[in-house]
Amino acid sequence: MRRRVPRPEPLSLLTGALAALVGWSLLAGSLPRPWPAALALALGLALALGGHSHGSAVQIDRLARASRWAGMNAPLKTVGCCGLLALTLCCRTPWPPLGVFVYTAALCMAGGAGIRRYLGLAALPAAFVLLSTAALLWRWAPAPDGLADLPLGGGWLVLDTASQALARLVLARALGALGCLYLLSLSTPLPELLAVLRQAHVPALLLDLAVLIYRYIFLMLDTAARMRIAAASRLGYEGAGRSLRTTGLVYANLLGRSFGRARACQQAMESRGWEGEIRFLARRHPVRAAHIALFAVPAAGLLAALAVGG
Amino acid sequence: MQELLRFEDVSYAYEPGRDALRGLSLSVAAGERVAVLGANGAGKSTFFLLAGGVLTPAAGQVVFEGAPVRRPADLSRLRRGVGLVFQDPDVQLLAGTVEEEVSFGPMNLRLPEGEVARRVETALAAFELTEYRRRAPQYLSGGEKKRVTLADVLAMQPRLLLLDEPAASLDPAHARQLEGHLARLHRQGLALVVATHDVDFAWRWAGRVLLFQGGRLAADGTPETVFADRVLLAGCGLEQPVLFRAGRALGLEPLPRTVEQLEQAVGKERNTL
Repeated sequence: MRRRVPRPEPLSLLTGALAALVGWSLLAGSLPRPWPAALALALGLALALGGHSHGSAVQIDRLARASRWAGMNAPLKTVGCCGLLALTLCCRTPWPPLGVFVYTAALCMAGGAGIRRYLGLAALPAAFVLLSTAALLWRWAPAPDGLADLPLGGGWLVLDTASQALARLVLARALGALGCLYLLSLSTPLPELLAVLRQAHVPALLLDLAVLIYRYIFLMLDTAARMRIAAASRLGYEGAGRSLRTTGLVYANLLGRSFGRARACQQAMESRGWEGEIRFLARRHPVRAAHIALFAVPAAGLLAALAVGG
Repeated sequence: MQELLRFEDVSYAYEPGRDALRGLSLSVAAGERVAVLGANGAGKSTFFLLAGGVLTPAAGQVVFEGAPVRRPADLSRLRRGVGLVFQDPDVQLLAGTVEEEVSFGPMNLRLPEGEVARRVETALAAFELTEYRRRAPQYLSGGEKKRVTLADVLAMQPRLLLLDEPAASLDPAHARQLEGHLARLHRQGLALVVATHDVDFAWRWAGRVLLFQGGRLAADGTPETVFADRVLLAGCGLEQPVLFRAGRALGLEPLPRTVEQLEQAVGKERNTL
């Protein structure tokens, strides 16, 4: 049976286009003639067509719960990922952070996230990072004296080796940091993460808000979906104008209902003795030597790289 | 039997001029099975919120285990001793996993962690939720969510349990399962108060019926006495239970509470003819 190729999403297309531009700008002048363009094109296509994501909030939650690393000690994961992140940001050459990105992405996928879903989830932050990198790469100059020049206004957009070096470093660090964060969020269900933060004495108010927001994301998504279905069954989405109006009605209604819900939820909490702080019993996973090694080895590698000037 | 909860001339209004409850006086003893009937807006939910310590009376007082509830410390005592299970489980479910949810109540009681863990285990086992412990509420079915809300209130070990239309969103299989749980809780000595629209359930299950109408307690007695008053029932938008009418029509004494009792009584009649 032929597998249907899913339609590329607008965000993925944008990310792919940006990736191609940035990819070429990063490699121009460093590799012989057809390679920068070829690699950039390949990268752009991979990102444009490769990723797919829908309902990312729910998807991240599902991936985290199903992950192979969900049974790993949560404080260890948090400290490990944050530690790697901090070391990544200290690196002075692009290769160690890129290595961190590849390593953390590989761990995520070993944990159960498929490559397409990972790319899909990375599309939005990647778009931001690529936009910033593009801005770092190209600068406006009165005369065309770089590796590549584009006329703009009265002068030129110029690409030169100094900005390439800087952009490579920034991009590598950003990707490395992204990888560390994704490793944490795709392997740890939010309730466990919140328990770690509670142990770290993060203010209770913030954590209570996080608990409620997390819970209500799903409720609101569900309610909104049902309201949209009910509206669609009454032809609420026929035509652009009507669709817009129906969408507005659905979300306005959702807002109103959420106030009522909030009051009922508070009553339910008070009836169970809640007196201002939401506390749950945290589940603890044992710390295993193999898991410590998963973080200690790359950390040691990064420290060594930093020591020799990397 | 020991009196657990007493309302003395309690009144409450959500907004000035519109009383949700007026001059409510009643008492509930340990081990009772009470059905609360009445149309929507008659005051059942307000009664539950007052009994559960969520609302404080505008007039009159609530007495729990012999001591009046006045200060915040008393309110805390009331909330510990009275468990309130809301009609919509999604209102009550808060945590990211089932076992966290069930631990919410005991943690609020400021019990040591070991005790909390023990109570969570017991409550999960009692409602066959042990294999669901790591699951998130958003991925549970209606019946499973209901069991979680029951487990989490019962983990606080209340003496009186208030259930607001517990079978409302359940399919027949789960509704039967719920009745099984209620029977078990009754055997353990809990006082149970169930708000329902199902007169047949009330006839089958309750030892006492409270009928609310327009914010007042219109009737308080045994099911036989309350359901005998057709005029009052009609005024509250209710009908007499099917088995009640069938028993009356057949001239049976005592009136059969369950279909089995009806079958037995009719069978005996046939044999004596």
